[in-house]
Amino acid sequence: MTTPAMPTSAARTWRATATAVARGLFLDRQAEFWLGAVGSARSFRHVQARVIEVIAETPDVKTFVLAPNRRWPGHKAGQFATVEVELDGVRVRRCYSIASPPSARTLSITVKRVPGGRVSGWLHDHVKAGQVLRLGAPAGEFTLPDAPRPLLLLSGGSGITPVMSMLRELAATGAVDDVVFVHHARSATDVPFRGELARLAARHPGLRLILRLDDEGGGFDEAALAAAVPDRARRATFVCGPTGLMDRVAAMWAQDGLADRLHQERFVVPAPRAASGPAARVQLSLARAARTVPASTDGSLLEQLERAGERPASGCRIGICHTCTCRKTSGTVVNLITGVESSAPDQDIQLCISAARSDLELAL
Amino acid sequence: MTTPSRTLTRDEADAFGRELDALRTEVLADLGQRDVDHIRAVIKVANTCEATGRVLLHVGLGPITFAVGTTALTLAKILDNMEIGHNVMHGQYDWTGDPALAGHAYEWDNACDAGDWRHSHNYEHHTFTNILGKDRDVGYGFLRVNEAQAWRPSHLAQPLTALALAVNFQWGVATHDLRIDEAFAGKQSFAALRERARPFLRKAGWQLGKDYVFYPALALGNAPRVIAGNWLANLGRNLWTFAVIFCGHFPEGVQVYDRADTEHESRGEWYARQLNGSANIEGSRWLHVLTGHLSHQIEHHLFPDLPASRYPELAPKVRAICARYGQSYATGSFAKQLGSVAKRIATLALPSARRSVKRASAAVAPRPAVAPGPHRVGAMAA
Repeated sequence: MTTPAMPTSAARTWRATATAVARGLFLDRQAEFWLGAVGSARSFRHVQARVIEVIAETPDVKTFVLAPNRRWPGHKAGQFATVEVELDGVRVRRCYSIASPPSARTLSITVKRVPGGRVSGWLHDHVKAGQVLRLGAPAGEFTLPDAPRPLLLLSGGSGITPVMSMLRELAATGAVDDVVFVHHARSATDVPFRGELARLAARHPGLRLILRLDDEGGGFDEAALAAAVPDRARRATFVCGPTGLMDRVAAMWAQDGLADRLHQERFVVPAPRAASGPAARVQLSLARAARTVPASTDGSLLEQLERAGERPASGCRIGICHTCTCRKTSGTVVNLITGVESSAPDQDIQLCISAARSDLELAL
Repeated sequence: MTTPSRTLTRDEADAFGRELDALRTEVLADLGQRDVDHIRAVIKVANTCEATGRVLLHVGLGPITFAVGTTALTLAKILDNMEIGHNVMHGQYDWTGDPALAGHAYEWDNACDAGDWRHSHNYEHHTFTNILGKDRDVGYGFLRVNEAQAWRPSHLAQPLTALALAVNFQWGVATHDLRIDEAFAGKQSFAALRERARPFLRKAGWQLGKDYVFYPALALGNAPRVIAGNWLANLGRNLWTFAVIFCGHFPEGVQVYDRADTEHESRGEWYARQLNGSANIEGSRWLHVLTGHLSHQIEHHLFPDLPASRYPELAPKVRAICARYGQSYATGSFAKQLGSVAKRIATLALPSARRSVKRASAAVAPRPAVAPGPHRVGAMAA
């Protein structure tokens, strides 16, 4: 007589319960604390990675080669990762494009030092091999399509990172059949991955590498690009770079009716409205409710939301109980008690004492 | 006996509030690494104590390891509940962005569900502090701690019920938000009570299962020892937190308020009520940490979401502002405040104490057309 196998659903329930109990008793607090205390990159809750190597690519660009823990879900070529650092006790997050291909064993992010940038400056100055960095899950729609040929990978400055990930993935999977790689930089020393690009071009006849350098009179130029890539209409094009370059490329593709063949990676910052003076109209995008409600810069967000018929959780309405704390994913708010404005993405704000200063995206 | 607080006009209360707001802003601008270092150091001590305590209880033999283990576990529970849990759940460290210090997500080693706590404590108690009929923390609904509360025959037994509450304090706190009394008084349906009780039942089951089933089972032959140690640790934490919390709002010199007085309260008047409704305990740095800085109840009620370890340095500044506005600042040693609370619980058990209410000395001027001011207690006892 055969013994029937334990039903998988029961086994799953049992496992889930055991995991939940273990988490509540030991893993989430004690184990997590001690793993952190001994400097381990392992975690029962968070994506973290050990820094294996820091590579100076150019005078102001460094690549951080990371060994992520088991919670890293893997990425698609072209995506970015959120890196979280603690500056004077405050966790600050920034998104950096991933330079490594998904097939690589390690993960690398390439970071340009932004003049006055707190996070990029901290990463450049303080992060050494052996340290542990906190990461967020990879994200981004700027990814390599499944049947990606023929291709035009177009970049400027540090915008090379996500298209480098794509090129590396193509090379790793033997799919460099028909790729044109055009990169714009100030000078040859400012090109990250220069040696590797040259090697890839030498190895793969299907890769045509074009470097356009400012100091050799080769900055971005529509006519030059059109001449260099005459068949761009038949290529799926991926562009990432400074806003000026992106705008000109987008205009050029739109003019030729190729807008749907152009994939762009931008990091847009919403423009703040007038800080004082008459109330301005703004839009509040509520991510969970999938609604956008009109609001004003006048008065607290809680009042604005309630006026619009929303019912966010709230309590004291004077900024003490934190019941209404909610994640703001983008936009600028002012704290009505302190008068401090903040534009940082992914920030927890108290709705009852915050007023909008721009269009906002809220995790409501 | 300190002089009662002077009545503030609306303008004075506004100025008073602005000075306190300025203090708050000053601290907010200064928050940084040292605040995070402090709370992480406390978390480290708490985690070390819990691990040590449990190991000694589980694998130790003899009375010494039992005593040390139980003490360590008690200390861990006290730190987790007070300096860590209470303060983190107030959102005092939300500015750090550290998920381990996120106020809305923290769950503590206490029978009270953290979500229930955030509602009954952070919102109700801190917003409506000492308003009779709105702040359900005034005597927790069954103790008479203030002359202004109507006497009921059940108050005769309150020295005993208070003792029972002290011993079972976490269960008192855990069931506080269920409003069981309202269900029996017909103000809440039993169906609503059942719905309300869900988080409590889940949490209570977890706590009981953890301390009295799972860990003892893990200890095999040492199970009785583990049960006893866990029970004593819970008891120690209960008695300590009861004492600290009762010293915060019920000693001599603390005021209670009528609903009507506070209906159109300004921010400055809210500050004045928080000040006059709270009392401090004086002591060493260790006492402050073990009370979760609720020994600075006044500063905590003025600034509930500032990191509590800042209260000792804020206290002299708050006191100076109070002196300038003629506001009394209730403070005393632990023994004095606890003695005062014990005496009040004993004397207020009797109906005669009701006559000693003095209704005149209002610390906040009542709105025009709004009747009586707050009840200052203790003025008669001087």
